[in-house]
Amino acid sequence: MTLPLEGVRVLDLTQVYAGPTCTRILSDLGADVIKLEGLKRMDITRNFVMPENNGKDDYWNRAGYFLLRNGGKKSITLDFSDPEAVELVKRLVPYADIVAESFTPRVTAKFGLDYESLTSIKPDVIMISLSGYGQTGPWRDFTAYGMGLEPASGISSVTGYRDGPPLRTGISFTDPYSGGVGAGAVLAALHYRRRTKKGQYIDLSEHESAIPVAGYGIMEYALTGRMPERIGNRSEWYAPQGVYRCRGEDNWIAITVRNDAEWEAFCYAAGHPEWENGRFGDVLGRFKYHDEIDELISSWTLEQDHIEAMHLLQNAGVIAAAVLNPKQVLLNPHLRERGAFDLIDQPDVGVRPVAKQLGATFSAFEPNSAWPAPKLGEHNREVLQGMLGLSDEELERLEEQKVIGDTPEGAVPLDVMRMFVQWPTTTFQQMGTIAGLDTDYREQLGIEGTGSKEQET
Amino acid sequence: MSESALAGTRVVDLAQGIAGPYCARLLADLGAEVIKVEPPEGDYARRLGPFPNDVPHHDRGGLFLHLNGNKKSVTLDLDTASGRVVLRKLLADADVLIESEAPGVMASRELGFEQLRDEFPQLVYCSVTPFGQTGPYASFKGNSLAAMALSGLMYITGTPDEEPLCTGGEPAEYFGALHAWVAILAALEHRAKTGAGQHIDVSMLEALGCADEYNTTMYAYLGAIRKRFYSRHAIPTYPSEIFPCRNGSIVVIGGATGFPLMMAVLIEQPELESNPLFQNLWLRFMQWEKFEEILRPYLAEHDWEDLLTRAQELRIPFAAVLDARTLLENEHLRERGFFAEVEHPELGKVPLAAHPFKMSETPLRVGRSPLLGEHSQEVLREVGYEEEDQLVLRERGVT
Repeated sequence: MTLPLEGVRVLDLTQVYAGPTCTRILSDLGADVIKLEGLKRMDITRNFVMPENNGKDDYWNRAGYFLLRNGGKKSITLDFSDPEAVELVKRLVPYADIVAESFTPRVTAKFGLDYESLTSIKPDVIMISLSGYGQTGPWRDFTAYGMGLEPASGISSVTGYRDGPPLRTGISFTDPYSGGVGAGAVLAALHYRRRTKKGQYIDLSEHESAIPVAGYGIMEYALTGRMPERIGNRSEWYAPQGVYRCRGEDNWIAITVRNDAEWEAFCYAAGHPEWENGRFGDVLGRFKYHDEIDELISSWTLEQDHIEAMHLLQNAGVIAAAVLNPKQVLLNPHLRERGAFDLIDQPDVGVRPVAKQLGATFSAFEPNSAWPAPKLGEHNREVLQGMLGLSDEELERLEEQKVIGDTPEGAVPLDVMRMFVQWPTTTFQQMGTIAGLDTDYREQLGIEGTGSKEQET
Repeated sequence: MSESALAGTRVVDLAQGIAGPYCARLLADLGAEVIKVEPPEGDYARRLGPFPNDVPHHDRGGLFLHLNGNKKSVTLDLDTASGRVVLRKLLADADVLIESEAPGVMASRELGFEQLRDEFPQLVYCSVTPFGQTGPYASFKGNSLAAMALSGLMYITGTPDEEPLCTGGEPAEYFGALHAWVAILAALEHRAKTGAGQHIDVSMLEALGCADEYNTTMYAYLGAIRKRFYSRHAIPTYPSEIFPCRNGSIVVIGGATGFPLMMAVLIEQPELESNPLFQNLWLRFMQWEKFEEILRPYLAEHDWEDLLTRAQELRIPFAAVLDARTLLENEHLRERGFFAEVEHPELGKVPLAAHPFKMSETPLRVGRSPLLGEHSQEVLREVGYEEEDQLVLRERGVT
């Protein structure tokens, strides 16, 4: 089986979420990705989501958040605060087809790692910068987090309950989105390089990446002068549409009715043919009396199981989908049969289901996605000795000088970090940020007693 | 003029709606020649508006313009054998086919991947549907709302006491488009190595599901079921929330470093640096209502532009909450040329969201959407139909 990016090497200077998603997709497509971190500047996501909430020992090699975006990569540690480390990074550039970075714009030039400098080392290099607001413009030096960029992209202005404030999606929306945009941009640059032998520079703005998602509202303002409103779960185009409460604790179903035929199908499936005609019988009535229809639909859904109602309505030809919580997502038969999750045996963690980072299935190859994430500095020797030819003595010296190593040296002492990485889950539950806490979750997921960790003990 | 990244690549775009067409637009912007094949009545997205003066017209839809720039439009009735003959001629020179029909529909027209692969072995055939071609939900009808619901992202979006909330703007459609675009580009690289085309099955649900930041991970690692909780992160880096301010809203993010001093300086109460709510991250996270009591009055008296600028000067990653108007007026985006003005024969000059990345050697293109059937004659002529044959096809309703 040939993978599309076999033989392509990526030097990955990105951290956290957007950049690592971009390079993770390239890795899944067959690229050899060398991820560079510093002992003083470890990827902070190595601190997020510990198995069994355990922050002991080398916890930074076990974080679930890190695994998601970094499976299959190689990890080396070289800290930019050390000039010798920067020189070693430059010595790696000739081996790279692609250099990816996600610093704020002034950083790469400061270290002589900007595109112009890189081309003097490797003329046909493809470099991609993924930054919050891009390399130019008055906001270029702004520090940016994904959780701020979704509102800045315009999406939050059209996300929210009717008459309520703007709200954010419960994820850092622009990070996975711009990671995908970055992967596509690099693939396009590879397409061009294959034909012309020329590399190039890609300036990606994470802020701009997600703006097209707000395209309908932008066009509404541009063409009508009217500002788009927040309409909750309703639709500009179809009525009724909504998310309705079902039987049980916090269970819901999303329903869209697009036309007369679907409304008839809905009414019969729900056992209420009397709703079909009269005031709700045509599209005008269904828009006009949407509030009343919502009450009728809720009176029916309240008695229904959200999964069963989904099947009932879908079988009748109506768009309906149960609102799944994260646990139900992991257990969902459709996603399982489709292989949406890889089962990855992470050393010292055990087998865990890990969401794929590309929502496409290929008939000619299978993406190379089911790999554990590297331990911090796991490939220092392989890369620095194997590729650059450093001797054992040189590696030892670099280790002594803490230029390379396997233990982070953050501004915050490790003991304090250990407390931070363990979450007060009981408090989370009291606050309501989590809806439940299953102690037998591994059994429920069918991963109990599997994987290297359990075999060792 | 420099060459485009995808110069010489030809795409036949049979898709309708949002996901498939937007994927094809992304390829068109990179320089691919995209022939949009529409049924004689047009892609249904032509009816989705918004329209000037709210008067529907198949060539005046704003969303359609947004999704279909730089394409050629050819009308063709694929439910007729004669229409399918024309399509096969278009496919002879095509590198990519994109379609968005419910699973089985293309095969029923003898245009499924398996039926075309012998005749067009070079073809990268991409299907974009709500739930994919296989699995128990393959025949389900879907849209962005349904994909949001099944992806788990809806459950964690919104306020705890209200119903789960769909993100605005049909996000699953755009994630589907994005992943289809990446997959097609990957398949073209694969074809360059092996000579073979293939079938790509993109599920909007799974593309959106890829965006799940850590919610399934919280269950797979901790057994914790995360729930919606306003606009904040589950990871306790509070504050990370949208707050009202004097002239709108502002995203308040504490950031990884600098808190508590910088936040105390920002709100002009430096003594708060020693306040336990400022010093202790966990305390702040748990007693967020008390923290907000301190913060809200100050924000209510200041404009977002002022808060944003001063926070950023202190290296605190605050962000703006922009809307259609403030996006179009934004100085930063203007300087970067993000919104490009296109001239449309029916709409006049319209600002169009252009490209989120710039390529130094292969600048991306900006273009308007085609009128319905605008390029039928030109494209049919190219594949060998003389004027009189075209007339017959038009009279019979094939084009």
